[in-house]
Amino acid sequence: MSSCGMCVHPGISHPGKPVLINCRSPEKETFTCRWDPGFDGGLPTTHHLYYQKEDSDGMYECPDYQAAGSNSCFFNKSHTSIWVNYNITVVAINSLGSTVSDPLEVDVMYIVQPNAPENVTVSVVETEESPHLLVKWEPPHEADTRSGWITLTYQLRLKRQNKKESEWEEYASGKQTQLIIYSLHPGEVYMVQLRCKLDHSLWSEWSTTTHTEVPDYILKERSIWIVVTVFSAFIILLVTFTLAMKRKYVKHCLLPPVPGPKISGLDTQLLKSGRSEDILSSLINQSFPPTISTKDQQVDYLLVFDSEQVTPDLQNGRTRTKNSIDHGCYNHSLLMKVNNEVKVGSREMVEQGYSEGLESTFRKTKSLSTDVTSHPCPQKKPFNNVTETPKQAPVSSKYRSLSHHKDLWDSLARHLDYRETVVKSQSNCDDKHNLSSQNIVTPSKAIGCVEVQRWTKSIGLQVQVPEMDKKQEDYSKVSVVENDNIVLLKRETVPLNCTSCKVRGNHSEKCLQKPCKPNMTVPAKEGVHIGSNGYVEPVIITLYKM
Amino acid sequence: MARRSQGTKLHLAVLCLVVSCHAIGLSDLMERASQRSDKLHSLSTSLNKDLDSHFPPMGRVMMPRPSMCHTSSLQTPKDKEQALRVSENELISLARSLLLAWNDPLLLLSSEAPTLPHPSNGDISSKIRELQDYSKSLGDGLDILVNKMGPSSQYISSMPFKGGDLGNDKTSRLINFHFLMSCFRRDSHKIDSFLKVLRCRATKMRPETC
Repeated sequence: MSSCGMCVHPGISHPGKPVLINCRSPEKETFTCRWDPGFDGGLPTTHHLYYQKEDSDGMYECPDYQAAGSNSCFFNKSHTSIWVNYNITVVAINSLGSTVSDPLEVDVMYIVQPNAPENVTVSVVETEESPHLLVKWEPPHEADTRSGWITLTYQLRLKRQNKKESEWEEYASGKQTQLIIYSLHPGEVYMVQLRCKLDHSLWSEWSTTTHTEVPDYILKERSIWIVVTVFSAFIILLVTFTLAMKRKYVKHCLLPPVPGPKISGLDTQLLKSGRSEDILSSLINQSFPPTISTKDQQVDYLLVFDSEQVTPDLQNGRTRTKNSIDHGCYNHSLLMKVNNEVKVGSREMVEQGYSEGLESTFRKTKSLSTDVTSHPCPQKKPFNNVTETPKQAPVSSKYRSLSHHKDLWDSLARHLDYRETVVKSQSNCDDKHNLSSQNIVTPSKAIGCVEVQRWTKSIGLQVQVPEMDKKQEDYSKVSVVENDNIVLLKRETVPLNCTSCKVRGNHSEKCLQKPCKPNMTVPAKEGVHIGSNGYVEPVIITLYKM
Repeated sequence: MARRSQGTKLHLAVLCLVVSCHAIGLSDLMERASQRSDKLHSLSTSLNKDLDSHFPPMGRVMMPRPSMCHTSSLQTPKDKEQALRVSENELISLARSLLLAWNDPLLLLSSEAPTLPHPSNGDISSKIRELQDYSKSLGDGLDILVNKMGPSSQYISSMPFKGGDLGNDKTSRLINFHFLMSCFRRDSHKIDSFLKVLRCRATKMRPETC
């Protein structure tokens, strides 16, 4: 084994090349250089730092290896010059050799990096509106901020601890050493960090995190919410109460009622009550077929039939070709023919048509009556009155259609058994009348003359008007036309003798004297009673379907 | 008699107004000056970074040493103690001298920048122009300042710039450009530091400006 000072023995060698990491000046007055020693070659190795300044000759060694720790060189204030280039090298020496690192050119103005701010205090300041954070700190202790040699500017960043993926919010603070943060989330824990820089230096490291919790301030605002809740509940109650009180009005507004037909001569309330007996009695106040119980009874008939053939002059300009009322005052054997069906249109129109028809028929009747010389019946003054009828409002609001009482009508139809014309109350006003065929519902008070109608294959409308009092000018009003069979007239009269007659088909009538009653009940199958006097005495107009 | 007194009163009022218009406080002037010097240095730093991004590696070796800067003859404080010992008049004189010394080189640089063999020479060119603007603005402000400070502050060292052009070949042009910019970077840092020390001293009432 030859001794070889420079030979490379296994495991040992001259040191590896040290590397200068960086040099830093925290306050622009001193600086520290650090190096990485590198491989030591397996032998104890020492490192030396040498520097050379731009403006002076000579190599100088590091003045202090200890102050900044191992593998470092600390240049104190007397050894630090600014705006001067330092050429720094590190040499690693061991027993086998030495290795020189690459040189590093350093100017202190480029290597300034302060330490992080110190004594960071975060406090929560609670005010009426909302709390805010007051962050206070101090500059790093080695920095001299009072001479103007350095100017520190700060930066703060904030993050919510609980919220994941939340970003740091950065705030610039300038030269101030305190900052107020607003817009906090109550009940959250916030993390605060600070850093600073010297003029144009590098930023310092972020300071250690300061945690602070913002108290939950819902309690404070609870009173406000309570007030708001109570107030809105009160408002809601008020509105509900108002709507409840005015529910009819509200209902009327929201769901307007469908106007129903207004047919005079019909008592809707009575019909609504649903008692068929009462209904029958109210609807039919005459015996059927019509009978005249007393001498004084006279029958007025209003004939309603299809107008095309018969009564073109009955039309008062209305386009009601199919409904017409003809009123004829005939002698005994006076017959009329009606050919077509009378179809009932809308009830209001029917009513009006009928009332106008009434007018026309009354006129005609009047004219007819004058021709009837043999008519023993007293003239019908009410005709004059009747002519004035149409000036009345034809529609009585009291009466509604009987459309829904179809079964009632059916029962009536059964009793009334219309085939052909019916007739009359006799001209002599006796209580017997001859029925040629049909049942006629006669009013208890015949008015003036005997009317005979015959219907053949047609629907005839026979109107019987109760006797009119001279004092009173009452006219028949058509209250309803139903099922192409029956038309009701409604009429109010002064109290008269109440008579009720039963009329039935070809049978002779039975006239019964009954006390006046406002509502006579009639069993549905027995036939029709004449209504009592002085009350609502609807006159039934029946349409005969041939 | 009354007319005269009225006239003199009017004169005085106008004079006071004129004086008050120009009576910006010293501290305000200092604040404005230091803000401009801060901006000047920031611009030069960013310019240097732009140049460094595309610098030939050999260029660092070939670059002249900083002692070759045309302003290196000026004796300036080298550390904090020295700087704090310098009088205010001298500080402002140094700042103004340095600033004046760069008027001509900046002209040269701005004329050479558009043709510089550098990818971002457009950026560099605009920054040079901005540098010139700030430099002129700062110079004007310092002139006003020395008028306030007195005649002893108005001494300026002359440092003429002798470099004619940057060179003939692309590499030398780039290297010389870079060298000049690094010199300017250091000098602008000096100006900024001196003015900030001056600012702190001028506003003894308000330590927060330091």
